[in-house]
Amino acid sequence: MSFAMTSAPAKFVFGKPENPRRTVWFLLGPCIAYLIVFSIYPLFHSLRLSFTDLTAAGGTGNWIGLKNYADLLVDPLFWNAARNSAIMVTLAVALQVVLGVALAMFFNLHLRGSWIVRGILLLPMLIPPIVVGVMWRALLNPDWGLVDWIISRFGLTPPDWLGSVDMAIVTLVLVDSWQWTPFVFIIVFARLQALPQDVFEAANVDGAGSWVTFRRITLPMLMPAIVFASVFRAVDAFRSFDLIYGLSYGGPARGTTTLSFFAFQNGFQFQNYGYAAAVAYSMLIILAGGTTVILRYVHIRGPGQ
Amino acid sequence: MDDNDQSESSRKSLAANRRDVLRAMAALGLTTGVLGRYGVSAAFGADFDWKKFAGTKLSLLMTGDENDHRALADLMPQFEAETGMTLEVTSPALGALIEKTLQLLQAAQSSFELIEFLGFLTTQQVGAGYYEQLNQYIDDPALTAPDWEIGDFLPPAMSNVGYFDMATKTVGKGKDIYGIPGMHSGSVIYFYRKDLFDAAGLKPATTWDEFKAAAEKLNSADVAGCSFIGANDFSLATVDWYTRFITTGGKLMSGSPQTKDFKPNVNSPEGIGALQMLIDVLPYAPKNVTKYGFAENVDGFSTGKIAQMVFWSTIAGPIFNTENSMVADKTGTGPVPAAPGQTPRAIQGGWGMGIPKNADPAKKQAAWLALTWLTSKAFNKYEVDKYQIDASRTSTFNDPELVAKFPYLPDSLKAASTADVIPTSHIPEFFQLNDAMNVEFNAALLGTQDAKTACDKVQAAWEAILKKAGHMA
Repeated sequence: MSFAMTSAPAKFVFGKPENPRRTVWFLLGPCIAYLIVFSIYPLFHSLRLSFTDLTAAGGTGNWIGLKNYADLLVDPLFWNAARNSAIMVTLAVALQVVLGVALAMFFNLHLRGSWIVRGILLLPMLIPPIVVGVMWRALLNPDWGLVDWIISRFGLTPPDWLGSVDMAIVTLVLVDSWQWTPFVFIIVFARLQALPQDVFEAANVDGAGSWVTFRRITLPMLMPAIVFASVFRAVDAFRSFDLIYGLSYGGPARGTTTLSFFAFQNGFQFQNYGYAAAVAYSMLIILAGGTTVILRYVHIRGPGQ
Repeated sequence: MDDNDQSESSRKSLAANRRDVLRAMAALGLTTGVLGRYGVSAAFGADFDWKKFAGTKLSLLMTGDENDHRALADLMPQFEAETGMTLEVTSPALGALIEKTLQLLQAAQSSFELIEFLGFLTTQQVGAGYYEQLNQYIDDPALTAPDWEIGDFLPPAMSNVGYFDMATKTVGKGKDIYGIPGMHSGSVIYFYRKDLFDAAGLKPATTWDEFKAAAEKLNSADVAGCSFIGANDFSLATVDWYTRFITTGGKLMSGSPQTKDFKPNVNSPEGIGALQMLIDVLPYAPKNVTKYGFAENVDGFSTGKIAQMVFWSTIAGPIFNTENSMVADKTGTGPVPAAPGQTPRAIQGGWGMGIPKNADPAKKQAAWLALTWLTSKAFNKYEVDKYQIDASRTSTFNDPELVAKFPYLPDSLKAASTADVIPTSHIPEFFQLNDAMNVEFNAALLGTQDAKTACDKVQAAWEAILKKAGHMA
């Protein structure tokens, strides 16, 4: 520590300069206290809750062991939610990565005025997901929504965005991609800007075309950023709740009920707190397992490998 | 005292009297101005001390989805002037209200002294012991104005949100009162376009066959023959399906939770038939009716795009609002259709207001006083007059001035008086059951399954939920 600790109060608080332990605890203490109160305690409390049959009407929850988890495994609604979560994560991340990389390549051309468009492109990320959901619900309204109106002006029949079970999950993926593709773009674009140019010059000298250059040089070198963005987006998409709440409220016919929404329903609509906690912990287990697998088995190769 | 002193004394005395008179006149003028502006006359006993808790600050949690909070905002200055108390109102949407209420009721101390709860949640919230028993306040003449009259509240509304027997955990039974109907009650009535029916030579539907026939005849490119809640929405099951179900002889549950034989009859012939009736009128409903919730139907009807529907009587507000509705003077109301030989009736809706048991003890009596003000005859009349909100009191429904102004009131009163408290609201799993039903029925309306399959699925889901909860062996 470089600040002066000559006064008695300062010495009392921060300790002796040669023994910074008190200083460390003093500075880290509030942060640790915050984490304990708002993260660690709730984590363990909800774990305990998942082993009880606590409901709003029941009052005190009785210990039931792993019964909630056993019930989950045979609950078709849980598997429906898990299926929807898997579809959303897979489609959303794939679409966002493809679009994000394409946008990064496009803006790497440094066309005139692209900095303005780049700024506008980032705006969706700044909007809270619940607002995005409500906004798009209005835009996609079949009676007076702007999107259907524009489509019908071209003589086309608008799809049943939020009324068809199959289409609703696609709509959810599209809206999520509208909001979060810029995130992938930023990550990939930053990496693209930092790539060494001599590799590309050498490839050019060797006569490599643009597609070969992209496939054999650019893409592998972007892979760390792509994996990073994919993992982040996968975790986020898996946890997504407020977008679903505002856009489709889990419907129609549970077509967009993901695990996070399912947990919300059980906890806040049906007041089955024990069961909802079990759903939430099952999400944690799935996330932990999934990210471990991705990071363990996805090989990130650098240039020359 | 000489003459000058006497004269000075007299002048001072006269000046003081004049000041007193002027103060009294100012106070009278202010009060009259406040009362006159809002058109509500003071209906409280002159001998009753409304200001006994003056200076107390109270907090009220209530729904923001309907117009009650607007009526309250209008009359807040009057409330403060007459009681000397201040009332801070929080009015979120229904979903957020339920979540927040449960958190508050389970906290060490509630930050709200008054909470409005949905009638469907009476068993869940009142039954869990979260609310103060109100009999002690009702029977105390020092705390309850003489003309407040508990007996004036609609009996079905009192059964829905007021009476609760803690021993048997049964709503609507016993003598203990935990909630007061407010700020509105209500049921479901039939709305129809008088002009369209007259032009087509039709009479308002009294049976479901007539309803369907009228829908077919009146259906056009500009106006749908009928509408209903077709989305995965709370009211799909409770309004459109349930009304058709009970008016065709259906009985939703047999047995009781207490005897653990609470068995559903969703896939009975009446249950399947009620859903089939909705499927049968799909061709005469708006194109996107399977996505229609509360707001879409109200908007559709008030903009003249729907010829008839059964709906919560509370929508009379926007429908008969001459400023916003295109059909205010073209709309007629009546009892819901019913099968021949059946009584037209629908589900009992409405809200109750109570004092959380964990509220600040020092403020509970003040909270009760505020509650009586908010559920008074004067306030109820104002709500109906200004916003056409469903009344909670029999006297309000029968008020000659209101009836002359709003001809739908007798239909609303009849509906509210004969309304059916849906049996599943007696158990905490009500919303879970409702959700299971809405999902399958919405899927049937979308065409992904037929009515029988949907009802069979709901029956199975309900039995699983009821068995898990211990209401069914």
